Amino acid sequence: MTTPPNDEQKKEPNANDVYLWDATGAPDAEVQRLESLLADFRYSDRSLILPAEVPEVLHRSRGQLLGFPRVRLAAAAVVLLSLTFGAYFLLHRADPEDAGSRWKVSSLEGAPHIGSQAIAAGSSTARFRVGETLVTDSASRASISEFSFGEIRVDPDSRIRLVQSGPDRKRIQLEVGTIHAAIWAPPTQFIVDTPSATAVDLGCRYTLQVAPDGSSTLRTTLGWVGFHLNGRDSFIPAGAMCSTRPEIGPGTPYFEDASPSLKDALIEFDRALPSTDAASRQLDIILKEARARDGLTLWHLLSRTNGPERAQVYARFSALVPPPAGVTRDGILQLDPHMLDLYWNALGLGDISIWRFWEQNSNPHAAPTLQKPILKKQM
Amino acid sequence: MATLLEHYPARSGPAVVNACPGPGDTDDILVRGAQHGDRAAFGILYDRYARMVHGILLSRVPVSVAEDLVQEVFLQALPRVASLRDASHFPGWLAAIARNAANDYYRRAKPALELHDDSGDPETRRRALDIPRSSQCNAESLAVLEAIRSLPDAYRETLVLRLVEGMTGPQIAARTGLTHGSVRVNLHRGMQQLREILSRKASPATGGDL
Repeated sequence: MTTPPNDEQKKEPNANDVYLWDATGAPDAEVQRLESLLADFRYSDRSLILPAEVPEVLHRSRGQLLGFPRVRLAAAAVVLLSLTFGAYFLLHRADPEDAGSRWKVSSLEGAPHIGSQAIAAGSSTARFRVGETLVTDSASRASISEFSFGEIRVDPDSRIRLVQSGPDRKRIQLEVGTIHAAIWAPPTQFIVDTPSATAVDLGCRYTLQVAPDGSSTLRTTLGWVGFHLNGRDSFIPAGAMCSTRPEIGPGTPYFEDASPSLKDALIEFDRALPSTDAASRQLDIILKEARARDGLTLWHLLSRTNGPERAQVYARFSALVPPPAGVTRDGILQLDPHMLDLYWNALGLGDISIWRFWEQNSNPHAAPTLQKPILKKQM
Repeated sequence: MATLLEHYPARSGPAVVNACPGPGDTDDILVRGAQHGDRAAFGILYDRYARMVHGILLSRVPVSVAEDLVQEVFLQALPRVASLRDASHFPGWLAAIARNAANDYYRRAKPALELHDDSGDPETRRRALDIPRSSQCNAESLAVLEAIRSLPDAYRETLVLRLVEGMTGPQIAARTGLTHGSVRVNLHRGMQQLREILSRKASPATGGDL
């Protein structure tokens, strides 16, 4: 490719090259034979491994410049100054969890409070710091915004605490009430804790409501959200919703346009004890009512059923959504994680490797430099 | 997806609308996403361009090295992508990183790894191409790959992308930034030369094994 052909050369190809050109037309036996022979060398299904932290841009000339004594001297001076300012910064810096915080709160209606500070409608915005709590009463609404991250609109009768506001991670607690989040930060960087689950933004807009009893409901309008508690995960794509209950965690998500019978049965199924007659009856209804689009629900049910019930779910799911390459019935019935991920990606609702990447990096026991595949070739 | 264009309006400006990057998005959107630190967008670019990068590498370096170098190329690209001014230049820019990575490999490696062995012995070829013994590749496929790699740069890259990576001509053009005409000619002339080489090797008078 370093020696592009000239105009005269470009006239050479003819109709005989159709198969060589785009693999259509009458097959060229020799080209087919070579394709078959060389297929062994094709790029394999490898994941891209990225470091947890992306290094700064490397400058090619850096090493050469450091070879000059003067530049070395200048570099040493810069290092000395950096250390001086660094030491000053370390001694006088703010709370590290609040580093880079630019959260501003404004009133949309009434007078929401941050601590004892009331924010009147039409007044200037107030800063929202880590550890502070924003409260709206029955007559007030608020907007929390951050230039590079997103905006959260807070409905009346809500309490929100800002837990973390680092450059790569914002975290709030929604103790009660309703928020409407529009997040434009990279996926997984905005997290909302509720009494019954943790909502992880995967690039989207959503509404999250927490009732006084701690149960919550999440509706996604754009992108998708992950709901998580104690190893139980639910993924809620645009148009879907999911409920959670304290100590139980995320329920099974479903599209809001699913049949009323399916939705009613799913609510009962989530409430019933696993593998009981009650659960089995509801499962029959769910499977009967499911459309291909309800593959979202069936995928989640694979890991929420056991034995014959799981086989039932797989039978219906695979009939509605054919399993992609690399996925087998036995593998799914054994809850093979890789196959489950492949099957999820086949639904076309979001790349689950983003979630796996977050899981890995949110593990408090993981080494900071731990590497993790972020993308399987098959999406 | 227009919403993503709105999502990544400019590298320094505030975003307006949020949405997820997806396999259906254009390179332009994904590159801008990657420039904003969106790893998912970069991951999709990897998925889209890994075969192209592998093909370029495979036409230059030993088989067993090529896959690892693919990773290296993308790791080199990630911190630099923010400096790419025009997202439409991404394919050519990435291809250049891949070619440089191949050149760097030879600067580090022993000259003995250069692939110009004419002994005809499959085991010697296997060693020259640095293919593990466990590989399923047979002697004939090794000989064909070796023949392709003896072609001029323009032809060997295009033929590897077509015959090894399974890309069509239009896909090769889209991924490398070359015109359809150039790719078509590279395929035609490269295939012509490859047929001649394979024909010579297959002739008993030359002692070839094909």
